[in-house]
Amino acid sequence: MMRNFRNALLVAIGALAFGAAPGANAQETLKLGISAPMSGAAAVWGLGMEWISKQAAQSINDAGGVKVGGKTYKFEVVAYDNKYNAAEGTKVAQTLLNRDDCRYIIGGIGTAPVQAMQSLSERKGAIMFTTAWGMSIKGPKFPLTFTQINTPYEVIPPLYSYIKKHNPSIKTVAILNPNDATGKETEAVSRKIWESIGVKVLSSDWYERGTTEFQSIAAKMVGQKPDVIDLGVAPPGDSGVIFKEYKVLGWNGVKVVPAGTSAESMMKIGGDAVEGVYMGLSADFDGAQATPVQRKLNVGMKAAVGEPINVIQIGGYDAVMALKAAMEAANSVEPKAIAAVLPNIVFDTSYGKTAFGGKDSYGSAQHMLVPAIVSQVKGGKLVELERLIPEELTKRLAAAKK
Amino acid sequence: MDIYVQLLVNSLQIGAVYVLFSLGLTLIFGVMRIVNFAHGEFFSLAALLIAVAVPWLVDFGAPLPLAYGLAFVGGLCGVMILGRILYEFAFRRFQRDMIGSFVLSVGLALLMQGLFIEIFTGASRKLPTLIDGTVRILGGALTTQRLVLCVIALLVAVAMYWAIASTRLGKALRAVSEDHEAAMLQGIPYRRIAMTGFLLGTLLAAVAGALLAPVVVIGPVIGSAYLIKGFIAVVIGGLGSIPGAIIGSILIAVIESVGGYYFDPSLATIAMFVIVMVVLLVRPAGIMGNG
Repeated sequence: MMRNFRNALLVAIGALAFGAAPGANAQETLKLGISAPMSGAAAVWGLGMEWISKQAAQSINDAGGVKVGGKTYKFEVVAYDNKYNAAEGTKVAQTLLNRDDCRYIIGGIGTAPVQAMQSLSERKGAIMFTTAWGMSIKGPKFPLTFTQINTPYEVIPPLYSYIKKHNPSIKTVAILNPNDATGKETEAVSRKIWESIGVKVLSSDWYERGTTEFQSIAAKMVGQKPDVIDLGVAPPGDSGVIFKEYKVLGWNGVKVVPAGTSAESMMKIGGDAVEGVYMGLSADFDGAQATPVQRKLNVGMKAAVGEPINVIQIGGYDAVMALKAAMEAANSVEPKAIAAVLPNIVFDTSYGKTAFGGKDSYGSAQHMLVPAIVSQVKGGKLVELERLIPEELTKRLAAAKK
Repeated sequence: MDIYVQLLVNSLQIGAVYVLFSLGLTLIFGVMRIVNFAHGEFFSLAALLIAVAVPWLVDFGAPLPLAYGLAFVGGLCGVMILGRILYEFAFRRFQRDMIGSFVLSVGLALLMQGLFIEIFTGASRKLPTLIDGTVRILGGALTTQRLVLCVIALLVAVAMYWAIASTRLGKALRAVSEDHEAAMLQGIPYRRIAMTGFLLGTLLAAVAGALLAPVVVIGPVIGSAYLIKGFIAVVIGGLGSIPGAIIGSILIAVIESVGGYYFDPSLATIAMFVIVMVVLLVRPAGIMGNG
C-alpha cells in the first residue's frame, strides 16, 4: 500500500511539473506598464489611458494573443499614479521596471515623470511609448522611446495658423504654463510660432501644478489686455478654473489651449467661460471623421470614466496595437528588436493604418504619425474644425501599397 | 479693473479659506500640543463627501439648494465621525508629544490620501454653481459664491474669537493651553476638553472644505495644498493663537496675491517660506504666540 501511495505521489508530482513547464501551446503573460497621473487636475488622462489600454489588450487576448516564435503571449496592463511630477515618476519607474520587471511601457504621461522613467528604461532595455511633449524626449540618444501622440511641433503650427486666419485682428498674446519640463518645452515652441505669425508675446507666466487659487495670476494676465490667452499645457481641471477667473475679471478675448484635450471636463468646470476655446489635442470621436473603432471605444469610455475619449488617452490603445504589430513583424518579444522594426512597419491603430516617422524633425523615426486636429468649443459642444493627415504618413501608406 | 482694489479683493477671498483652515490647526495645537498633519484630510473628506452627495441628491430630484444643505450637514457629520475615531484610537495617546504626534499624523495623512483615492478615485470633480453671478466691490470683482464664503469665514472667525474669550468652554480651552496641569488642579477635565478642542478643530477644517467645495475643483488630495499654507499661517501667527492664525492667514494671502501679480506665483511661495524662516529665527513664538 505504501508503494502504491508512493507511486501515485510520484505521478502527481510529475504531472504538476509537466503542466508547469512551458510547452508549445503554453501562454505567457507580458506586462504592459503605464505611468500617468491618476489623481489631481490631470487624472482624466491617466484613468482614461488605463481603461483604453486594457480594452486594447483584451481585444488582442480575445483574438488569440500575440504569436511570436511559436509561442502565444497575452497582454496584461498595470498602471501606477505618477502624480505628474518627477519624484512620483521615479517611484513608478522603480516599481514598473525593477519590482514588476515590466519591459514595455505603453503609456507615459508628463515630461518630468517620463524623463525619470527614461533614465531607467533606456538602461534596462525596456521600450517606452509616451505622450510627453518634449523634443528632448526622443531621438538617436533614446532609441527605445517612441511618442504615441502629436507633440507641440505637430500641434501648434496648424493650430495657431488657423486661429490667426480666422481672427486676423489679434496682435498680442499672454501665455501661461505649468512650471515643469512639459511647460518649459511647450512655451519655447509657442513663443516662437506666435511671433512668426505676427502675434507679440506680452508675457509668459508659470504656475505650480496643484495650485487651486488662480485669482492673482489671472489679474496679472488680464491687466495686460492681451488679444489672446494661451494656456499651454494646463490640464482640463486647471484650464476650466483659470478661464472662469478671466471671465470674472471681464476679459473675453481669444482663448487657446494647445494641449486642450477633455473639452467636456473643461466645460463642466468652466461652464460658459470656456465657450470659444480653441484646442489642439481634442477630437470629436463621435463625429463623421472618427473611425468605427474610435466610436465604439468612445461609448465604452463614457460609461467607464464618465467622459468621451481624448487624444492623449487614445495613444494608449494605439501603442498597444503598435507593440503587437512590431512583435509579430520582428518575430521577437525583445524590446530592442521591436524598436528596430517599429520605424519600418505600417500597422493598424484606432485612426486606421499608420507608421512611425519624424526623422527630419527628431533625428530618428520615433514619432507616431497621426492627424493633427484643430477643435473649438462652440455652443457648449466640441466642434472639430480641421484634421490634417501628415504628409509623411500619406507617402508611407502609398509606398506600402506598392 | 482698479488693480489695487482687485488685489485686496483677491487677498480677502484667498485668505478666507486659509483663516478657516488655520483656526482648526492652531486650536488643536493650543489644546493638545500636537502638530496635526492629517488636518488637510478632514478638509478633503468634507469636500469629497459633498462632491459625491450633491449630484446623487439632485438625481434623486432634490432641488440644488436642498441638496447642498443636506450634503453640507452630511459632510460635516462624516468628518466629525472620522475625527472622533482618530482621536480615540490615535491622537489621544500622543498628547503633548510633538515628535510622536508628527509621525502619527503624517502616517495617517498618507493612509487617508490612499484611501480617498481608492474610494473616490483620483478624478477631479466640479459641483454645479450654487449662487451664480459676479459682484463688484469698489471696482474689484469676485464671484457671489466667493463673497458668501468670505462673509461666512469672517463670521466663523468672530464667533471663534468670542467663544474663546467669553464662554466657559473657551476659558477652559485657554486654561488648558496655557498650563494643563494647573488647569487640572482647578478641576478642569483635561481629557474632555482636549477631545472637545480636537473635534472643534476638525469641525473647522470640515467647514472650510464644505464651503470651498462649490468654488474649486475637488480632488482626493486637495487638502494637502491648503495644509502647507495653513501651517505657514499658524507658524507666522503663533502656534496656539487664534488672532495669530487670522493674522498669519491674511498675511500669506496678501503675499500670494500681490507677489503673484507683480512677480510670479512660485516666487510668492518662496517668499512665504523665507518669512517663516525669518520668524522662526527672530521670534519663534510667532507674531501673537506666547512661547
